[in-house]
Amino acid sequence: MSEALVAALNPSMFWEYRAVLLQGLAFNGYVFAAAAALALSVGLAAALARVNRARPFRWIGTVYVETFRNAPDYIMVVWVHFVLPLLLGAVLGRRIEFPPFVSAVIALGFVYSGYFAETFRAGIQSIPTGQIEAGRACGMSDRLILWRIVLPQVVRRMLPEAINQFVSLFKATTIVSLIAVPDLMYRVSMVLQQEMKPLPLYTGAALTYFVVIYLVSSLVRVVSERWRSKVY
Amino acid sequence: MEAVPAIRVVDLHKRFGALEVLRGVSFDVHRGSVVSIIGASGSGKSTLLRCINHLETPSGGEVYIEGEPMGSRREPDGSTRPRPLAEINRMRRELGMVFQQFNLWPHMTALGNVIEAPMRVRGLSRREAAALGAECLARVHLSEKAKEYPARLSGGQQQRVAIARALAMRPKAMLFDEPTSSLDPELTVEVLAVMRELAADGTTMIVVTHEMGFARDASNRVVFLHNGQIEEEGPAEQVLGNPRSERCRQFLSKHLQ
Repeated sequence: MSEALVAALNPSMFWEYRAVLLQGLAFNGYVFAAAAALALSVGLAAALARVNRARPFRWIGTVYVETFRNAPDYIMVVWVHFVLPLLLGAVLGRRIEFPPFVSAVIALGFVYSGYFAETFRAGIQSIPTGQIEAGRACGMSDRLILWRIVLPQVVRRMLPEAINQFVSLFKATTIVSLIAVPDLMYRVSMVLQQEMKPLPLYTGAALTYFVVIYLVSSLVRVVSERWRSKVY
Repeated sequence: MEAVPAIRVVDLHKRFGALEVLRGVSFDVHRGSVVSIIGASGSGKSTLLRCINHLETPSGGEVYIEGEPMGSRREPDGSTRPRPLAEINRMRRELGMVFQQFNLWPHMTALGNVIEAPMRVRGLSRREAAALGAECLARVHLSEKAKEYPARLSGGQQQRVAIARALAMRPKAMLFDEPTSSLDPELTVEVLAVMRELAADGTTMIVVTHEMGFARDASNRVVFLHNGQIEEEGPAEQVLGNPRSERCRQFLSKHLQ
């Protein structure tokens, strides 16, 4: 019993494979960065659709957001990797395969775009109409008002919530090992097949994720609060 | 021959569903003159102002800025048709607007608020815009606050920055929508002082106001609005001192105390 406990907490195994495992962690970072970029841009587009004056746009935006916000990320990853290529292949009449990395980015990017769309929408709707009218009264176009008056404030207002979503997205990158993206978890299972010592390896992986996420998100929070406090 | 008025409002109508807020309003504002619009709340004063620069699209009638129709344009074949939105945006910058709630952009400094539209809409360089912005802030006596964010300014200071922002577009006329209604009395004074200076400098102004003192000393003409129509209009001293209409007299007896 106590022997198992000691083994579980003994980090030497993790340390031994540190180079391989940290390369895996880098893959989590790549998937995160690409999926976040996709989620932010598609999320902004969906939010703009949801606040559009034209009803069809609002309707499409709502259906989009509800679809992806309610899709479990695990199922989306599997579906995009195994089902979507078959569907596209049938439509295009040839064989299509996505590299695991691409599937992971598409799946997580679209799932999280649903969350970001709602955050953007709430931010956009929180800007007082008067500020938009003041822009109009100065002869500014709607596009100029969006980029110069609305979005800079939306970004500031949505930051605290967006940081939480980024943390969730980073944690979600650990499931991409299921479709063989060589991330940290994937490499842990590879090492396990040789070493057969799951306890220290899983503990090491958990600690690594915790330390990375905690340090980075704390740093980002401090910096963003300093920036926001200048205005509000 | 009479000069083209800076602003000519012709038979302006505005309906919100079944509610008719403006029911045929016409008046002229001559260059360099100040017109105050008074009336009970709900009489359509603010709607009138917002229709003049098309923040609200009028249901009928037309507004002319130095002879140029705001909402429609004349085609070469003599027909008229509604202006596209982009053109209305362009026309709007000829009219500076000051709002009751200031509506400054909180993520920009005072100077940033003032130079934003000159740079992005009129295409001035940052250097030109900064010089213009400094000049406009000086006109509202806030040169020393150029680098402050709106959250750190008093209400009166915010409204003066908003006035500078409107001036920076070098508009043909300024529209004020109850500019002091959300200010404490001591802050009202500093805003009214700036507006009096603008009036004395020959700025063309339309002012929706409850400040009868300002309407009396600073405006050339006063328009009394009742139920979406002009009930009485004339030189300030006449409308405020010796009104002909019974409704105007009642309104003034409540507001002049």
